[in-house]
Amino acid sequence: MIRNLAASRLKMVQHVTTRKKKTVGKGKLNAPAFICPLAQAKDHGIRQVMDAEGNLTGDLADPDLADGQLIRLYEMMVLVRAIDDRGWILQRSGRVEFWIPHRGLEAVHTAATIAFNDDDWIFLGYRHPGTLLLRGVPLVQLFAQFFGRADEPFKGRRLPTLMGDRRANVVPMTTQVGSYIPHACGAAWAAKIKGDDTRFLAFFGEGSSSRGEFHSALNFAGVHKPPVVFLCENNGWAVTTPTSLQTASTTFAEKGDAYGVRNIRVDGNDPLAVFAATREARDLAPEKGATLIEAVTYRMGYHTTSDNPDLYRTPEEVAVWEAWDPLIRMRKYLENKDLWNEQHEEELWARCLAEIDVAVHAAEAMPLPGPASMFDDTFEEPTWMLEEQREQLLAELEPGE
Amino acid sequence: MSAVKQRSRKTTMLEAINAGMAHELENDPDVVLLGEDVGRAGGIFRTSTGLQQRIGSKRVIDTPLDEKGIVAHAVGMALYGLKPIVEIQFSGFIHDAFEHIMFCAARYRWASGGQYSCPMVIRAPSFGGIKGGFWHSQSVEAYFVHHGGIKILCPSTPEDAYRMMIAAVRDPDPVLLVEAVPLYRAMSASFVHDGVPAEIGRAEIIRPGKDLTILSYGPMCHQSVIAADDLADTDAVDVEVIDLRTLIPYDIESILKSVKKTGRVVIVHEAPLSMGFGAEMAAVIQEKAFGYLHTPIQRVAAPDVPYHFSIGDECYKPNAHRIGLAIKRAMAFEF
Repeated sequence: MIRNLAASRLKMVQHVTTRKKKTVGKGKLNAPAFICPLAQAKDHGIRQVMDAEGNLTGDLADPDLADGQLIRLYEMMVLVRAIDDRGWILQRSGRVEFWIPHRGLEAVHTAATIAFNDDDWIFLGYRHPGTLLLRGVPLVQLFAQFFGRADEPFKGRRLPTLMGDRRANVVPMTTQVGSYIPHACGAAWAAKIKGDDTRFLAFFGEGSSSRGEFHSALNFAGVHKPPVVFLCENNGWAVTTPTSLQTASTTFAEKGDAYGVRNIRVDGNDPLAVFAATREARDLAPEKGATLIEAVTYRMGYHTTSDNPDLYRTPEEVAVWEAWDPLIRMRKYLENKDLWNEQHEEELWARCLAEIDVAVHAAEAMPLPGPASMFDDTFEEPTWMLEEQREQLLAELEPGE
Repeated sequence: MSAVKQRSRKTTMLEAINAGMAHELENDPDVVLLGEDVGRAGGIFRTSTGLQQRIGSKRVIDTPLDEKGIVAHAVGMALYGLKPIVEIQFSGFIHDAFEHIMFCAARYRWASGGQYSCPMVIRAPSFGGIKGGFWHSQSVEAYFVHHGGIKILCPSTPEDAYRMMIAAVRDPDPVLLVEAVPLYRAMSASFVHDGVPAEIGRAEIIRPGKDLTILSYGPMCHQSVIAADDLADTDAVDVEVIDLRTLIPYDIESILKSVKKTGRVVIVHEAPLSMGFGAEMAAVIQEKAFGYLHTPIQRVAAPDVPYHFSIGDECYKPNAHRIGLAIKRAMAFEF
């Protein structure tokens, strides 16, 4: 089992190294030595709890999570990475149609999720399986969604990884990225109007901040003060477009200033910094309204399985970020506290892979939806137009004579 | 409800829309009204006059000037459990919000496997006749009828405006309410403000006849009746005029019943001709009632150009005269 795990991780490493061989020295992509902004966090206004070695920096205060919670957080980050490894393999072997990798992005969504209460609402992006798992959604349900099976909440209608589940208060995104930022803001505003204490969290990427909806949501939020946290994951790349072609602002957080929305820039590969900032924003929401958090992180994998990063970034840049891998830092932090060791690590990976094996096999065995189900849920009650179309389609799909 | 409130009242379209919104705002704490200038001023047409004063600024909300933002925030409100009524100041400004109407509100139920829904009303003041130029005179309904998930209503009388507003607010799915700006103050009618909703999906015969069927909606219903009355006098043609009232889902039974009776059809709308709602009407009639048709289906519509400012009200918008010509074409046609 552990060997399987090692093999799986090795594949990811090989995947990175092959690209190195191909592109180094071609000249075109030669850029000045790239320094990870997290290594110069102070200069970039990036707030941290821990450094690369998991030691406290003395900047943001350690949120002092209980030992059990720290371990739960780390275990989820590892499971999330293991899911990504498997998703990649499933797509490349033709068993899943499409995959949106999340390698390197394990810290932000897991830490932000546990900073919120389970009855708070989260508007999810598409690199965030940990949010659902932390809220009790079974792993097999996630894989059933990836396989487009009938018996997952969305009945096979959504692309793999476009997840959510109302029972977990996790709203599935509208897939035009960023379009749902004002949906989250509007829902938070609704809770305020109704006098509920529900709080709201919306994940989105830095590319989404270029859309009008980001502007709309922050503008409305500044005026009407709904209890919402806008969590901008600045992972460096919007498909192939770097942040420098996305905005001329120095940071994404500072955009909040223009709208009267409080904001903070944190190290997105430091789960405790993300937790501290998100928790504070959540707690202040009834009084202060919205907060914009920019979490500086890095998409170490492809944008999707249809992407080819060789076309737009250097392996040197990726390698620099590998040293700031959130899994390594969190593990070191736990080891510094004597909460973790090599044996724990091996047992955890073995457990994760075993759980994924079971979930993959169970999900893949589930049936696909039937064509009649396409017509369901268009309206609460189907119109005569849809009923007629359904009847005709089903008749035409019957095997011929 | 008091006897005074039950009494029939002479009401303009504008007052009817106001009364419909007021009824729902007063009876359901989850209903909110939001839009540009809808609060303190009561909207630029004054359709929401007095509502903020009665209901409060928490639920009758003056928003920033941002159609996309208004609809998108209303989508979030609806997801959480409110029933927002959104006013778009003029339907010519609705296009910025198209994605949130058609690909968010109209899709959330389906895309979430039925877990979420977006019950909301989008009010689109439409049509020409107020010397508005093309930004302020648009007929946008055809952009919204292409896929399911949203219902499209278009009242042509004050009573329908009142009852359709109530029906739209109570509907579990998003509703686009196409309001006829030129009718806001053009007519009044007496009816009881009793909170009874219209039935969505039902057309109405507003002028019975046996020789030819006119299918129309909104202000063009009135032009169609004028044309029918004129030709009854001069040409002895007995025209039936049907107010479709609901575009999605349209009332196929009423349409086919009338067409099978008359065998001749003229479809009238103020929106441009090509690929308009009339095209769907013509297609479905020939699919389901081809054998009953005596003559080809005629369409009366605006040309595929923008609404002209200085001469549009007279030359661009269809009127009773042009509808009359179409009726004559349909009656005189010989195979």
